[in-house]
Formats: sequence, structure tokens, C-alpha cells
Amino acid sequence: MTRPRWTAGRAAAVLLMAIVWIVSGIAAYLYLGAHRTTLATEAKKPTEAKLAQGPISRLPGTLYLVQGGTLYRLQRGSFSPVLKAPGGASVWTQPVFTPNGQSLVVVRRDYASSDLYLFDTSGRSPTLLTHNASRTVEANHWAFYPRLSPDGASLFFSYDRKDPGNVYNVVLSVYSMPMSPGSSFSQAKKWTVPASFTGGDIQPIPLPSGGVIYTKYSFDNKTNKILSQIYLTPRAGAPGKALTAIEDSCLQPALSPDGQRLAMICTGGKQFATLEIAHFDGSSLGPAQVLVSGQLAAQPAWSPDGSGLVYLAPQGLGGHFQLWLQPVPAPAPTASTAPTPNSTRGSQVGRPTPTAPPTPTPTPSPLTQPIQLTSGLDFEATSTIAWHA
Amino acid sequence: MLALFVVGLITSGLAGAAAYFLPVVVAAYAQTGQPRASTPAPEHASPGAPPAPAGGSAFTVLLMGSDDDTKFAQGVYLTQSMILIRINPATRHVTMLSIPRDLYVPWSTGGHGKIDEVHQYGDAASVATVERNFNIHVDEWAWVGLKGLVKLIDLMGGVDLTTGNPVLDDFYPADLESTNPYSYKRVAVLPGPQHLDGIHALEYVRSRHGDIQEDFGRSQRQQQVLLALRTKAKNVNAADLPGIVASFHDEFKTSFNLSDFGRLRSLISLASQISDPSQIEQIVLVPPYTGSDVINGADVVTPNWSLIRPLIQQKFT
Repeated sequence: MTRPRWTAGRAAAVLLMAIVWIVSGIAAYLYLGAHRTTLATEAKKPTEAKLAQGPISRLPGTLYLVQGGTLYRLQRGSFSPVLKAPGGASVWTQPVFTPNGQSLVVVRRDYASSDLYLFDTSGRSPTLLTHNASRTVEANHWAFYPRLSPDGASLFFSYDRKDPGNVYNVVLSVYSMPMSPGSSFSQAKKWTVPASFTGGDIQPIPLPSGGVIYTKYSFDNKTNKILSQIYLTPRAGAPGKALTAIEDSCLQPALSPDGQRLAMICTGGKQFATLEIAHFDGSSLGPAQVLVSGQLAAQPAWSPDGSGLVYLAPQGLGGHFQLWLQPVPAPAPTASTAPTPNSTRGSQVGRPTPTAPPTPTPTPSPLTQPIQLTSGLDFEATSTIAWHA
Repeated sequence: MLALFVVGLITSGLAGAAAYFLPVVVAAYAQTGQPRASTPAPEHASPGAPPAPAGGSAFTVLLMGSDDDTKFAQGVYLTQSMILIRINPATRHVTMLSIPRDLYVPWSTGGHGKIDEVHQYGDAASVATVERNFNIHVDEWAWVGLKGLVKLIDLMGGVDLTTGNPVLDDFYPADLESTNPYSYKRVAVLPGPQHLDGIHALEYVRSRHGDIQEDFGRSQRQQQVLLALRTKAKNVNAADLPGIVASFHDEFKTSFNLSDFGRLRSLISLASQISDPSQIEQIVLVPPYTGSDVINGADVVTPNWSLIRPLIQQKFT
């Protein structure tokens, strides 16, 4: 029996086989690695988004939104950074225009505190409005949800005054302070008395009448949950009046430019959130009309002409919040308080009982589907959207 | 020669796959298939409950979560969170019940104390204590540490949920970012729909000082994040397992035998079939199921077994 002789050709064949085997093993490894689910998809920066030709380019005016702690300006479908994230745990959030549209108040949130800043609309000329940082952890303060009064003379916001009776009772109250030069937080006025250990009162919207709409958190004995209601208080220190029922758990109120409609997010204490609007007569809300349901909708903001609302909601399971537009039907002259069977929810409280039936009742315009304006971005859903003509 | 080539090709491909799944296999043997309990099932446990749940029969899982910072000796942790989950594959119904961590009960190891403290005697002691007091049979259990939960949520790309109310806490433990396990920091998780990464989701489920319901409110938030994680987990496939295992490292233990891939696949499939919120029932043992008392100088939660046990009988058997 003769042993096979090793020839150059045979050696090359064995070598080739060995290479193919090694490649095959590596390929199997890489194939599996490439078939991992993209669970944590990287979001693009808004400046990388190609949006110029989309419906976003037709949004009128200027919007400000926050992604990754950076404040972005959106004009004609193009994003540009206005205030870059300070770094570390610090972020910019919750921008709001001054009534004349020439300045912005923005929250700078740091590791243990947050402060309000005034900027021009290009993010320059900063003025620090509050001084909430302290070296002692529990002596720091939060300031969130800034909003200017319609005449621009007062700045409203939520602030956590310390409870001398219980250091664990950290709750936000609505405060206001003058916006005149030289004014300081020492002149601030407390507007609301929050319910202890609930998170408190947030998201103030000052009204031309001098009152304030805000979100109040209370403990609901029926559901054993802390739920939210939209409240109205006529003056500082006065007991507020609930505009929505506690079981609806509504928050994030946004008043239309004409002051006659209130947009809000309602969760019912559940996971999904609906975007709703209701007629506001200055003291009570009419039945709510559900505009968007089945999404984690957040932060409604009215267009300057009141014809639509932008809001934030995730894009599929990826979880990044995108900008959406919901056209809003024009308000019916008298029948906006008349419920329609399929899209209204009539649990608002304090609604006046009509003395006469509203006639005639116009058929409400059918709702159009919300339009997704961005994709692949990752907007901060706890930050408000500022929109000015 | 051709046969040799083909056999070699298949073998090398399998070797590549084996290398890919090696961390899973190692973890499956090291961290899974842990003993179920140190004591026999209670006399009055649910009759007919299978010791190892098959695909079609209902089964009960005890989820435990712990602070595992340096306040404690290695492996000796309290259970900050205990959630009993009853899964019925036939009806596709899930019941989640949070056990208050301060619930004052007799321990399986002897004596009385808060139910979270019995974990110092091991996972099995916690399981047996739950079985004896709640009069049920726990089919499987799983334990996760703080860092493991943070890493898992980050691996999943975070969670999307509607946080219920502002969660504000001036004395939140800063133990994950400090060498001093007793250091603290301020947290503020703002309310509303949002996306939370691992560290902020942990703040949401761990903070309790500023909640009017204290541990009960925290339990509701824990269940909420668990459900949000389940939503994300619907997308997981087998190729994701090495990454998940790497994220857990020593932060996860379970009695599930994860080397049983067939059963694991059927559980993932079951999770994906439960999509309607009405299929998931959430229970927190608020008063009158529980009361409060001070025993040996410590604030404790006292069980009202005359109400709890019928509830358990109804929901967990």
C-alpha cells in the first residue's frame, strides 16, 4: 500500500479548504451578529435630517424643540442648533417664546437643580433669571415649565419650595415673578398650594384675564393612583377649580392663539395618551374632542393661526419621539359645546348647563389623520415645543 | 475529498455559531437553572400546579429585584421589589401582584421580619417565605440587580411609557455613581409620555420618598416599567441573547433553565401574543389588604390575610 504523495497541488487544495472552513466559521459568527434586532437604534441629529421637501417645510413661522439636551430651531423644514447641550448631566429644555416673539425663556437643567434663562431667539445675550444651585444636595431647587403672561410682564413657572415640616415632601407649586429689569426671585409670588407628596402643580398658562390654567396632581382614592387634572385659578393663593375630571388624568394644557380652545393630553391613568381639544369660555371647558388616540402623544403646541397642533409621539417600537402635525377642525360657532357621538368625551367638570338646546348642530368636519413630520430623530418628550409666527 | 470538504464546512459553521452563543451557554449553566426553593411546596399550595410548567398550563413566577451596592456583603441583598406573576398561556392572561417590601411575615427560615430581609438567607428562602405566607406554589423565580436592570433597559434601547406624576426625591440613593453607598442625590422624573434610558427608568421605579403611597406607589411604577420592557422584548430574537447575557453579567439569576431553548422560545412567543392591555391585570396590596404598624421600632406593613388569601386563591390558582 502506497501512501498518497503530497504534491504542491494537493497541499494547495488542503490549504484552500482550511481557509474556506475558517471563513465559514467566521461568516456564521458574523451572520448571527448581523441578525441581532436593532433594539437600540441610534437617532440622527436634527441637522442631519433631510426634510426640506416634506410637509414639515410648509410649517409656518419658527419652532424650537429639544433633542439630546440641545435646543434646535426649525424654520422652513431645516433644523439648526441654537443652544448646544452644556455637557455632563446638563441639558437645555422647555423653551417658550416671550409674547413679542423676540426672546426665549429656556430651562437649563443641571445635575441637582434647574434655572431659567432669557435669550434672544438666536440663543445669545443670556440672562439668568433664577439662582437655584446649592452645594448642599437638598438645598437645591427645581424651576420648570416657564411661561410668560400675555403682556410679558410676569414669568410663571413651577418651583419646589422646601417643606420645613417634612424634607421628603418635594412638590412643585406655580410661582410668578416680574420680568422687569432688575427683578429677582425674591419678588416671586406663590400662586398654588400643591397636594403633598403628589409631585404638585405644574405647567402654568397665564391668561389675559389674570388667572392661570395649570396641571394639578392629586391622589385619587377610587383608583389608588396619583392623577392629574387641568385646573384654573383666578388669582394667587385662591383655591383652584378643576376643569377636567380626575379619572381623565389630563395634563400638558395648551391654549389656542384665540384663547377659545384648550388642547391637552389625557391618559386616564393608563399607558396610552390621547390628544384632545375642548372649547374654553374663560371659566370652564366644553366636551373634549379626541384628535389623536392610540399613541404616546405629548406636548401639543398650537400653530400661530390655530389651524393645527404639533405634538411628539414615538415612531413604532423604536421608541424615539418624532414631530407630528394634527390639523384641527375649525371651531363650530355655537355647537362646539355639543358632544358628537364618536369623538367626544364629556367628562369635563364645571361645564355650564345649557339653558337652551344649541340649534342647529353642525356636523363636525371629519378628522384628518396626523402627519408624521420627522423620522429617525429623538425629541425630548418632556420638553415643550415653542412655536411663533 | 468532497465529503471531507462538506463535513468540514458544516463543522466550521457550527463552530462559528457555537462561539457566538458561548456566553449564553456559559450563563445558562452558571446563572440559570438555580434551585427552585429550599423547602417543599406548602401543603395548601395550588392543587395540580406543575413543578415545571409546560407550554399550556398556567404557572407562577416570582420576580425579585435588589439593591446590590456595597452596603451589603456580596450576595447578601434585600429584595427591594417582589412581584408575583401568574401567566396563563391558554387564556393569554397575566396577573401581576406586587408584594410590599416591608410586609411583616413569618420567615421560612424561622422568626418574623420584613419580607425583603429574608433574602439575606438566599433566593430560595425568599421563595419559600412567599409560598408559605401567600399559600401558593411558585413555579419559577428570577432575581435581578440594579445595574443589571439599567443595562438591560439600555440594551433594549430604553423604554417608552407615560410616567404618572412628577417623581421628585431629594434623598435618592446615589450608590451607582459613588463609592459611598449612603450618598444621595436629587431626582426629578417629569410626568407624561416619554422615553427613559436605563438610569432614568431606575430612578422612576426606585424613588419612594416623595410618593404619597410610598412603596405602594413605587410598586405601581415597577409594574409599569416591567410592562414597557415586555413591549420592547417582543422584538428580541435568539441572536440578541449573547448581548443580553453580557449586559446582565452577575446581575441576574433564575430558576428557569435557559439552556432549554425550546421552552425559552415558547415563552417569548407567548409574550408576543399578549398585546392587549386588558389581558394584563395589575394588583398592588394597598389598604385594606394591608395596614401599617411599628414593630420593634421599625415601620412595617401588616398583612390582612383574610383579604389577601382569597384574592390569591382567585388570581393565582
